[in-house]
Amino acid sequence: MNRPSALINLSAAAILLVVLFPALWMLQLSFRQGGDIFDMRLVFVPTLDNYRALWTGLFPGSLGNSVIVSLGATALSLLLGVPAAYALSRWRFRRRRALALWILATRMAPPVAYTIPFFLAYRFVGLLDTLLGMVIIYLTFNLALVVFMMRNFFDGVPRALEEAAWIDGAGVWSGFRRIALPLAAPGLAATGVLCFILSWNDFFYALILTRTKAMTAPVAIVNFMQYEGWEWGKIAAGGTLVMLPVVAFSVFVRRYLVRGLTAGGVKE
Amino acid sequence: MNARMRRRRFLQAGAAAAGSLVLPGKAPAQGGAKPLSGTTLNIACWSAPYAKIVADYIPEFESATGAKVNYDTPSFPIYNQRTDIELSTRGSAYDVLNVTFIYSGRWIGAGWFTPLDDFFNDPKKTPADWDATDFLPGATNALKDKAGRLYGIPWTVDIYMAGASRYDLFEKAGKSMPANFDVLRDTMKAVHKQDGVPAFLPENHYGWSFIPFLQGFGGNVFRDPPDDLTPVLDTADAIAGAEYFSNLLREFGPDGAISYTYDQVVATLKAGRANYSPNGQIFLLQMGAEDSKVNKTCAFSICPEGPKGRFPGVATHGWGIPVGSKNKDAAWQFIAWAMSKPVIRKMVVERGYSSIARRSLIESPEFQGKLLVNGQDISKIYLDTIAMGASGYMKYRTVHVYPQVDKQIDIAIQNIASGQLSAKDAMQQAQQNSLNELKRAGVKL
Amino acid sequence: MTTEPSSLERLLPAPRRAPAALPHWRREQARAFATGLAPALFVLAVITLGPTVYLLVTSLTPLDPVHPHSALDFSDPVGNYRTLLGDGRFLNSVWVQTKLSVATVGLQLAIGLGVALLLNAGSRFLETARTAFILPMVLPPIVVAVIWKVIFTPDVSPLHRSLDALGLPVRSLIADPDLALWAIAVADTWEWFPFTMLMVLAALQMVPDEPIDAARIDGAGRIALFRYILYPYIRPTLVVAGLFRLIDSIKAFPLIYVLTNGGPGTVTEVTNYYAFVESFNFSYWGYGSAIATVMVAGVLMLSWLVGRLDAEQQRDE
Repeated sequence: MNRPSALINLSAAAILLVVLFPALWMLQLSFRQGGDIFDMRLVFVPTLDNYRALWTGLFPGSLGNSVIVSLGATALSLLLGVPAAYALSRWRFRRRRALALWILATRMAPPVAYTIPFFLAYRFVGLLDTLLGMVIIYLTFNLALVVFMMRNFFDGVPRALEEAAWIDGAGVWSGFRRIALPLAAPGLAATGVLCFILSWNDFFYALILTRTKAMTAPVAIVNFMQYEGWEWGKIAAGGTLVMLPVVAFSVFVRRYLVRGLTAGGVKE
Repeated sequence: MNARMRRRRFLQAGAAAAGSLVLPGKAPAQGGAKPLSGTTLNIACWSAPYAKIVADYIPEFESATGAKVNYDTPSFPIYNQRTDIELSTRGSAYDVLNVTFIYSGRWIGAGWFTPLDDFFNDPKKTPADWDATDFLPGATNALKDKAGRLYGIPWTVDIYMAGASRYDLFEKAGKSMPANFDVLRDTMKAVHKQDGVPAFLPENHYGWSFIPFLQGFGGNVFRDPPDDLTPVLDTADAIAGAEYFSNLLREFGPDGAISYTYDQVVATLKAGRANYSPNGQIFLLQMGAEDSKVNKTCAFSICPEGPKGRFPGVATHGWGIPVGSKNKDAAWQFIAWAMSKPVIRKMVVERGYSSIARRSLIESPEFQGKLLVNGQDISKIYLDTIAMGASGYMKYRTVHVYPQVDKQIDIAIQNIASGQLSAKDAMQQAQQNSLNELKRAGVKL
Repeated sequence: MTTEPSSLERLLPAPRRAPAALPHWRREQARAFATGLAPALFVLAVITLGPTVYLLVTSLTPLDPVHPHSALDFSDPVGNYRTLLGDGRFLNSVWVQTKLSVATVGLQLAIGLGVALLLNAGSRFLETARTAFILPMVLPPIVVAVIWKVIFTPDVSPLHRSLDALGLPVRSLIADPDLALWAIAVADTWEWFPFTMLMVLAALQMVPDEPIDAARIDGAGRIALFRYILYPYIRPTLVVAGLFRLIDSIKAFPLIYVLTNGGPGTVTEVTNYYAFVESFNFSYWGYGSAIATVMVAGVLMLSWLVGRLDAEQQRDE
């Protein structure tokens, strides 16, 4: 390919700026003093006051909840989904496509369709405002993601290796454990990280199904939209903290991002 | 231990002792078991100034009773939405909740709160000098059911009045605080954009801020609440009122006026970036705060009068106990403590809280002093408005389906002020949608 | 999906399904696979089919917690749906949703395509740029909403302030009924155009070199190159990307919740938001369920479409 012209590089840089600017603006807003929020000067005295102020009330707890729920949801989805993905990849049976389609379809429904029944059910069994409750409902989008992405990755591991093992008398799951899984390990890591990111980012389910004990970080930010002066500094600080883990992790999975967001439907 | 620490310890001990004096039942044994130790109370209220003040005093309650308190103050719409869901499940996640003024009819009517009469009438649970009759009837009426049982102890009576952040601009234009709607319009015109300050800014909860104008023009929300709940939003008077109010918003409001929530309005007024605001007293008096840029130029008046009369709104919020709570006695101890005379007096004196519902304290000299803002005495406005509010035009608020109609009114004014619909079309649409909502809620018209 | 052979069938000399006799170990294998697949399917069924059925059942009642007996009131099963058809606010929400989806999908495809073409040139700088572009997609949507709330609030917005300084003051976009939906579309596009961009970029990089080189030798200009060579190759990707974004656009919530609350008026109230308001502000669970059921039906139709096209694409590979 030809080397790109300076014009193209410049345009790319400009577009990059447009893409990053809003997030960077929020970042710098989180370091501004209270009154300076309305200031436009680019040079200012930074302060950690906004972050310090965050450390009261429910916010620290909500960050902890987010970590626990996201890790739990990831672990559970991987536990359930990876074997299923392997079976889908290796087992030729009729209606395979139809089943795959159904799994994909489960991820397509708008959240409100699940929230109403889950809300009513949780209230009945007492899972409202619990971490376990959140982990379970996150399966509604994580499980399909894991199944599809890992199926994709397993498809990329040639069958021949396992077939050799099968002929030698090895069981299906022994082949899985010794051959397919290690070879698909990078894919496993990427899928896990993606599950974590999607669980961390959820807002709607957390808004409806948590109160105080299980409130996660995205909902806690909304609490700062308070009376008596929008606490822009706190909001910006909260937003920054909530986006940091996700930004950090996503750098590692950037190669698989599109695949993940289409639940493995499309490879990139 | 240096002097400051010693003083602080002394004050804390004193506060704890004072706090314990108002608690009913046994006084905490010295070094022995405290009455509520081991109990955790979950309490929530929307983030009103009062709720924030209470947060600072809760440690006193905790140290006096041994209870642990989880206290949560989300913003108004979020609080209402979450509380509504929580109450509708008769859940036990919360022990003390705020009974919000526009939801009181719905929440009390559905039986989601506990009647409190047995608590404050029981001498074992409440000391006699707590005096339940001390609360203004105008406030407690909104928190009672048809049988007269009380479901909430009012912590505020928020009256609708008017304030101006830049009264100096009024004076420069030769105007004073408008007494009626005709003068209001002319005054707004005269001061608009003087010194770059837009003239008119109410908060965008129009189901509260627009109603005095609706009724001032002779309109109303329901035909005859609580018996006849037929909405009457499309009468000629209602349309005239909507048009007048929306025109003020459109012509004299700041850019994006219809998106200004109550907190944005307070911040804007305090910064002097909008002038006249018909609003609740708990918000307007913030203009006199120390950190307000306009505390030397603000002015106040009673709600202006319309062609058909003066109908300033009165909003009551109170502490209540949800039916699902598992700690009702402990919850009552909290309410009794927070609403006791000494604690409220402390809030008035130490924090300048000026929107209380206890008559004995309203008439006290400390309170009179707090209602003096920028040299103006608000107490007369306060008491007059409360008296007016008791006359019955506020009955629309305690209707159990008011939240749905409230939303329709919000939408209608937004539609008119943003130019999407004419006043007639918008109010007729609100009327039609309200009828649908009432039908969906099972109301027989 | 094939079921496990029953014990009776296992006694038969040869099962009737396979063309040849299934060796014993193949059946063992099938059983083993089924064991791996079953838990996930079971859990998925419980947490998706169960709620969907419950949703449908609830939509046939006027369930409302203020009237506890309404949970089993099946006297007027299609009552909610009949009301829906006549509910101006619902119909408005569908129209708003359509407008928003068309705008966002169109913008995301156009901008994604444009940027992908730009970045296809390949250089180290552009590789780093690619990584940075994923940022908007991975941010928690609520953070995106907060960011754009800042940008759309004239007081603190660098956008408004700069325009003001340049002498082009712009009124608050989210309070303007004509522009509020566009404001949301812009925020949503910022958030998701990297998605289409990455997909198109991947497709572009799979276009073989020969036709491009041949066309260049023949003197084809950049536009002709795109139209006759690149576009046919990336068309399926564009379609799939567009459909994925379409389905996701129906779930739009945080932006509307934070920026406009469905307003001004109801001009940004999409169906998802309307269902939320009816269900969780006023607890009309029966009615909210009906709205949600209609949405699910709509989305299922679209999913089927995606599945069809995806299958075609896989067959072509």
